[in-house]
Amino acid sequence: MVFSSLTFLFYFLPIALIIYYIVPNKVKNLVLFITSLIFYFIGEPKYVILMIVSILSTYIHGILIEKYEKHKKKFLISSIVISLSFLVFFKYTDFIIENVNAIFNGSFDLLNLALPIGISFYTFKMISYIVDVYTKKVKVQKNFLKLATYVSLFPQLMAGPIVRYSTIEKELDERKYSFAVFSNGVRRFIIGLCKKILIADVLSDVVNSFSTVTEKTVLFYWIYAISITLQIYFDFSGYSDMAIGLGKMFGFNFPENFNYPYISKSVTEFWRRWHITLGTWFRDYVYIPLGGNRVGKLKWLRNILVVWILTGLWHGAAWNFILWGLLYGVLLIIEKLGLLKILEKIPAFLSRIYVMFVVMIGFVIFSVSGMSQIKECIGGLFGIGVDKIINKESIYYLLNYASIFIIAIIASTPIIKNIILKLKKKVPKAINILEPITLLLLLVVCVSYLVDGSFNPFLYFRF
Amino acid sequence: MSERLKDIVVSILFIVIIIGVFIANLVLKDNDISISERRKLAKFPTINSSIFSKSLTDEVEEYAMDQFLLRDEFRSIKTFVKLDILRQKDNNELFVIDGNIHKIEYPLDEKSVLNVTQKIDNIYNKYLNEDFNVFYSIVPDKNYFLDDNSIYLKLDYKKLNDIMHENINSNIKYIDIYNELAANDYYNTDTHWKQQNIVKIANKISKEIGFSDRITEEFETKEYTDEFYGTYYGQLGKKINPDNIEYLTNSYIENAITYNYETNKEARIYDIQKADLSMDKYDLFLSGATPIIEIRNNDAKTDKELIIFRDSFGSSLAPLFTQAYSKIILVDIRYISTDLISNYISFNSNQDVLFLYSTLVINESGALK
Repeated sequence: MVFSSLTFLFYFLPIALIIYYIVPNKVKNLVLFITSLIFYFIGEPKYVILMIVSILSTYIHGILIEKYEKHKKKFLISSIVISLSFLVFFKYTDFIIENVNAIFNGSFDLLNLALPIGISFYTFKMISYIVDVYTKKVKVQKNFLKLATYVSLFPQLMAGPIVRYSTIEKELDERKYSFAVFSNGVRRFIIGLCKKILIADVLSDVVNSFSTVTEKTVLFYWIYAISITLQIYFDFSGYSDMAIGLGKMFGFNFPENFNYPYISKSVTEFWRRWHITLGTWFRDYVYIPLGGNRVGKLKWLRNILVVWILTGLWHGAAWNFILWGLLYGVLLIIEKLGLLKILEKIPAFLSRIYVMFVVMIGFVIFSVSGMSQIKECIGGLFGIGVDKIINKESIYYLLNYASIFIIAIIASTPIIKNIILKLKKKVPKAINILEPITLLLLLVVCVSYLVDGSFNPFLYFRF
Repeated sequence: MSERLKDIVVSILFIVIIIGVFIANLVLKDNDISISERRKLAKFPTINSSIFSKSLTDEVEEYAMDQFLLRDEFRSIKTFVKLDILRQKDNNELFVIDGNIHKIEYPLDEKSVLNVTQKIDNIYNKYLNEDFNVFYSIVPDKNYFLDDNSIYLKLDYKKLNDIMHENINSNIKYIDIYNELAANDYYNTDTHWKQQNIVKIANKISKEIGFSDRITEEFETKEYTDEFYGTYYGQLGKKINPDNIEYLTNSYIENAITYNYETNKEARIYDIQKADLSMDKYDLFLSGATPIIEIRNNDAKTDKELIIFRDSFGSSLAPLFTQAYSKIILVDIRYISTDLISNYISFNSNQDVLFLYSTLVINESGALK
């Protein structure tokens, strides 16, 4: 089930909220756990048991780590291996078989397994928990229900943010409820809904036309590249907004996952603003344990490349994702070796153009399938292998989606937020009146798109 | 409004809306059909062994979309936002120019066009020969009349025609009606042409086939309804003035009857009873879509017959030929296989044959059997 669906908005959510708020506090976690299992079951009926087994394994290992101090490393490794083996089996087996077949001219059959939705996210959450128990950053959770609630919590189960156990440890025991927090959650949720339905899903029509358009021109390749760049951001940050908003409605405070990444002036800054919870996860659980930058230069470079190849692989079992990760690894190394200083000196708009260009090329690599399409698309941006710069079809796409591009570009910067904050200082009462009206109108428009629309899963469900 | 009051308003408003809509959707009776979209609406799926399949989720979402409270009003809001606020060029590939609704038909599917020529050739090779008087004609969809400078995408009609001409058996003669038509010959809210505007097409075809001397009686125009909301209207979800349906009649048409091979029922050429009950008022013409229907001209002064292989555009054109033939048989191979036709029709060289297809069907001919 996706948040941007009528079944979630007008069936699942009202029932979940009613039950959650009428039951006493001591059974709220149980309600959340059952609700989350139902939510997962609706979207991924076959793999509910897999998730419960994974949680159980992590739970038992956590207790064993605490109880048997001498053997805790073995239990840590055992827990991580079990969690990762599920992920590797379902996500990477076919990729491994394909490559083995290609290298050794083999003919092993692919397993063609469906990827359990959210497995990349909940596996990382469980690893962060068990490592934190091992390093004693957090106390072991002896109540299975609380740990299971943390892992399966439906607002962030399928596509993050990757909430650390330490972040919501206290909230699993006691949550505070107020109209201020709830209305904040509603606002975030509706903003996320707008990002997904009114921008990302609309741009998906342009992205999907890549394979149907009759003649690709240079203009079309640019429209495609810009669309995919905006679509991925609004899809994923929209989901994160909805997750954070829903979390607040149920009394949780999830960490931010995006902070206007498209205003970054370097790739280093971009990755501090994009998918923040994933970036910090890799920093804390891979990069630093490998030695981070407190090692010799060669090892340091190795550490960066390992992290970014893994980041690429985390996004998908295909070479284009590895290439995408590697691109960022190399760029970050170049920036750290000196480019950052240059970027700081040149005008801000130039460094922003550099970042956006790199990010756009990155998302082209990320989104197309196969190396030949990567070459075709990147070449197409520069007129290589393309007959025409422009044609009637490309112009139609440009004009048809012009308003969406403009809105998306403005909305990917903090301009609107800053204007609202300024106005709020000057005319707070007027803004307070306008806010509920605006949210209501936006909700009505989103619902109208849903009623007239078709089912559009989130892009990050694939990861 | 204070910050606290605003928080209370936002919270309560949201809860009231989602719970209110939830209850309303539960309490309100499900609709069977959408009149504006002319289709059956999804029902709540039966929960059985498919509970473990993802398709159940999709079916429930489809049900929620179809049976949603004030569905048509919400669809209108979306159209308004897309076309009037965001100034996008189309909604669900539909757009409006001067109160006339168009649908983007693009790009040209050359394989589909070739498929049509193969179907026509199959029929010719199987049932017809050089002794038959065989013709074909192409009905342009109304996008053909869009200004070439318009930003809207339309088919490459020249290429479509070229593929048709190059691949159809040379014994089948072409009747060009493109230049006889204009944009206002089509309904504003529908795909079809207006019968009252296509006497010129009937004249052209009758001249080319050679039966114009057998049509002597003038037509009288009658109005069926002035509130015709066509196919495009429902899909668009925007207020557009309705069309009126007029039909042309004379004593031959009045006295003729139709015989439907599928239902074995007789009816009038202009089936008012059917149209009154139908969601699609264009069903007035020959009772709507059907595999084979025959017009029997009881006052015929000839034993000549006409067979028309056609789509829905033929339904409003064929009645205008009534006087000239003792029998007109209309075959729609979207609903009957070409192999089965001879079970119902015996072919003989006293029959003229016309293949009449719109560019809409030619470009999307997968349904032709």
